Amino acid sequence: MATNVTQAPPAEKYAPTENHARVVDFEDTSTGLNSRKLLMWTFLGSDVMFFGAFIATYLVYRGRSLNGPYPSEILNIPVTSVSTFVLLMSSLAMVLGLYYVREGEKNKATLWILGVVLLGGVFIAFQVVEFRIFVIEGLTPKVNIFGTTFFILTGIHGAHVTIGVIWMAFLAHGSHTGRLRADNALDLEIAGLYWHFVDIVWIVIFTVIYLISANDGPPPGAELLHG
Amino acid sequence: MANLWRKLTYHGGNGWWNLPHTASQEEDPPYEGPIGGAWLGNIWRTVTHGGVSHAGPGFYWLVGLFLGVITLLEVWLFTLQGLGGLYIPILLGLSTMKFVAVVAFFMHLRFDGRLFTYIFAASMIIGISMFSLLLLLQQFGNQLE
Repeated sequence: MATNVTQAPPAEKYAPTENHARVVDFEDTSTGLNSRKLLMWTFLGSDVMFFGAFIATYLVYRGRSLNGPYPSEILNIPVTSVSTFVLLMSSLAMVLGLYYVREGEKNKATLWILGVVLLGGVFIAFQVVEFRIFVIEGLTPKVNIFGTTFFILTGIHGAHVTIGVIWMAFLAHGSHTGRLRADNALDLEIAGLYWHFVDIVWIVIFTVIYLISANDGPPPGAELLHG
Repeated sequence: MANLWRKLTYHGGNGWWNLPHTASQEEDPPYEGPIGGAWLGNIWRTVTHGGVSHAGPGFYWLVGLFLGVITLLEVWLFTLQGLGGLYIPILLGLSTMKFVAVVAFFMHLRFDGRLFTYIFAASMIIGISMFSLLLLLQQFGNQLE
């Protein structure tokens, strides 16, 4: 499909309107939008439902673990708050990287994209350490329903972050070598959409799993099972 | 009343719900970034009118600061432990604010093609509806038997 960007759209199609000035850049597609960007938004729409299914599953089984460790015994909110902040700041670095790529400022762009890689890597490191501590303290995917739903949801999110970090590392290299420029900044914009999406999923996970569930203990009657 | 509705929803109405044309496609956008000059007024215009062509680093730092402050507020509320039934609604409200800020400004959805907004919003509506039904079924399903 042709996605040529031109500077002179047909006047009859993009004539000035009451509120909008004349269009100067447009995609020569049936939607007038870039097909790759549309594909990414469609993918993100499907990923909303993908993550939504796991978040809903977590909520359905929340507070139903009959044996520990329970969230109240194991979740470390201060540490996870720091990793949440790191991921949020990686989104800031991402958008600044895109800005400087579009401005043609290669060094600043490379620096900010590397910042995304670094902050994403730090987030993954936090998650690996957290998982390690949880396993040492007895929480595994098999030990109870909290462990199963927690590890699946946060693990899939972590896999998304890992893919994003690898993607960003390639783009940082491209920016450094000059292959990523203002005229193909869309490559970075599309990767950025993915990265920001991973960020908003974590916003929901942090609220639902960590902040809301952090005080969850055993369900009523669970103590009867253990004498 | 009709005028108000038009102002809020009509695409040319410049209301909060107005989804602007792709602003980057506009020739001579009203201004280049929300920071600079009468910055407060520009921020207000960004939020209420949209249509900023190329938001600058200052604006992105502001959104980043907002996200950090909201996260701090969430953690502070967690340590407070005295909000009772209000705790979960407040947290959900705060995380929604963060969610919207990232989607609207970092993902540029507020300033991008409307079709992208429709695709994402439709996915969110379908997803939230289905999973809300799932939760309701789980909560009240036993009573139906």
